[in-house]
Amino acid sequence: MRQAGAYSGILSGGLSGKTGPHSLPLARIKKIMKKSGNDVKMISGEAPIVFSKACELFIEELTKRSWTMTIQGKRRTLHKEDVASAAIATDIFDFLVNLVSNSSHSMDNPVEIETTSK
Amino acid sequence: MDEEQDKLLPIANVGRIMKQILPPAAKISKEAKQTMQECATEFISFVTGEASDKCQKENRKTVNGDDICWALSSLGFDDYAEVIVRYLHKYREAEREKSANQHKSSSTDQDIEESNHKSSQPQQQIEAPNGIEFRVLDKGNSSSFKNPS
Repeated sequence: MRQAGAYSGILSGGLSGKTGPHSLPLARIKKIMKKSGNDVKMISGEAPIVFSKACELFIEELTKRSWTMTIQGKRRTLHKEDVASAAIATDIFDFLVNLVSNSSHSMDNPVEIETTSK
Repeated sequence: MDEEQDKLLPIANVGRIMKQILPPAAKISKEAKQTMQECATEFISFVTGEASDKCQKENRKTVNGDDICWALSSLGFDDYAEVIVRYLHKYREAEREKSANQHKSSSTDQDIEESNHKSSQPQQQIEAPNGIEFRVLDKGNSSSFKNPS
């Protein structure tokens, strides 16, 4: 999903288009920050940009660790269980433990762009 | 249903980042992407919470980039914090140059946007086989903001 352009007002969070395209949409990040439930009042313009980078690093690390689990299982497809194992095995990912052992999304069928294939 | 997805990072973006870091032949199940989507979203909430607490304690209303760097370190993500501090530095530098440019010149927006795009473009290939070692490439953002002749 490409961003509409480096200077799309909606996506870059400002008319002046602060920096080049990011790998994650800034407006969505900002929304998630506001809902984090800590009475977040105001968010500086650079905060979502910082998070875009930080999330990328996070996803990369968790993915790599998950892949290690996949390889250990002699598989070539990264499964949800691999992500869960990686999260549980890593101290700094402790905050994810409840999330990965409780994932309830599989009960519903969320609306996805990708086609469902089992 | 749509609302739920709205609270998460988009799965396409998440999937792309995952794919980029894995070997080319690797496959990723859809559920794995969904799980990662949730985890990354939770990561934002988690770090924001810590940053926000700090702001409240210090009687500040706005959560800024420094607060997030601090929170990352505080929560054990020192490697990320290091990268982000540099990233933030470059971003701020680019912002300063951009506003300096806008004040003194009457050059077209296009020119400014072009040079901004080139030099404040922080995205680059991140290859980190083992430890987390990211290099933020310097795209020569010091002199490219001068008025084009």
